[in-house]
Amino acid sequence: MKEYKTKETDINDISVLEPEATYSYADYLKWSFEERVELIKGKLFRMSPAPKRSHQEIGGDLFVSIYTFLKGGICKVYQAPFDVRFPSRSEDADDQTFTVVQPDICVICDHSKLDDAGCKGAPDPIVEILSPSTASKDLNEKYHLYEEHGVQEYWVVYPGECVLEIYDLQVGKYVSRGKFVREDAVESKVVKGLRIALSDAFEGID
Amino acid sequence: MSTAYKQKETDIDDISVLEPEATYSYADYLRWSFEERVELIKGKLFRMSPAPKRSHQEISTVIGGEIFSFLKNKSCRVYHAPFDVRFPNSPDDTDDQTSTVVQPDICVICDHSKLDDAGCKGAPDLIVEILSPSTASKDLNEKYQLYEEYGVKEYWVVYPGECVLEIYDLQDGKYVSRGKLVREDEVTSNVLPGLKVKLKDVFEEVDG
Repeated sequence: MKEYKTKETDINDISVLEPEATYSYADYLKWSFEERVELIKGKLFRMSPAPKRSHQEIGGDLFVSIYTFLKGGICKVYQAPFDVRFPSRSEDADDQTFTVVQPDICVICDHSKLDDAGCKGAPDPIVEILSPSTASKDLNEKYHLYEEHGVQEYWVVYPGECVLEIYDLQVGKYVSRGKFVREDAVESKVVKGLRIALSDAFEGID
Repeated sequence: MSTAYKQKETDIDDISVLEPEATYSYADYLRWSFEERVELIKGKLFRMSPAPKRSHQEISTVIGGEIFSFLKNKSCRVYHAPFDVRFPNSPDDTDDQTSTVVQPDICVICDHSKLDDAGCKGAPDLIVEILSPSTASKDLNEKYQLYEEYGVKEYWVVYPGECVLEIYDLQDGKYVSRGKLVREDEVTSNVLPGLKVKLKDVFEEVDG
């Protein structure tokens, strides 16, 4: 990797970015192009322009189930696009922060992590809905990122097969709790009492 | 719970007369002449979906084809569905003592003594199942436990919608996930050393 140096000017054309360069959140804030991107440890990941309808429907149903459950409580649920930064230390400045991602769904109970720009620090849980273009990132880079930064619960959805797998953080490592199918209901251990019947989330998928 | 098993005497040409809660044997299965494809797992009836999606068939063709060309001039054989695999509790069990018969998407059998005119009797060495919403539960629960219990050494589970393939290796009688592979990866097999399948080829026709 190249040595990191904050870029001074605004960038409105994504094609001038270098795929092999290291970028920080301070750079990210200067990008005015329309394409959505993520940074994981300084590496640039372009996001797919528009997810499939099934992705959006499952995401919408899961979001609503979580939203309804949390209503009136302390925890908040957010849907992409919502920036989540993972600084190495909480006092890191923007140019010391090299990771900013947009999880499909995330829940944040500690309000001190919320600011105008989004969330700074680990949400819990995080839900990612896989597609062919994101599977590698979701199962590799993001899996390791969430594990390393202490996201207690990571939900991974396979919309094409109506499968949801839950990883629980145990002594700093993710352990699969199992794969859940349309006939199952899933429960969160982090957000106590949250229970979702997957027949609702996967309704209408064949 | 299941009804006590009693062999049915007559041929059945209409699937609707079968009882979902009954226990059936392979001897019963052989008398069913209806067109619908079914599987029996420990006597329980599972109806199969009529026609899989095109992407399912394309993935099955590429994986089956790659294994087939690798096995040329070797002794192991590869088969794809519809191909009956029975799992008797002991090798000398008769048809009416056998309560499990399934049709894996792809299976590899290296022990020729397991092959007969009807298909395979006993555990294949490698099984591949390609998931869909209608089969995910059976593939990840009943079949997973069945293959584990009967000693299928390697179980490949394909998620066509996301271009992911997960491999389970049998270790001390239990499946252990070797991890999830994505489009950029290459699959290798402990059962078929030397086999390499590029997932880019397997998922070529899947977009997104």
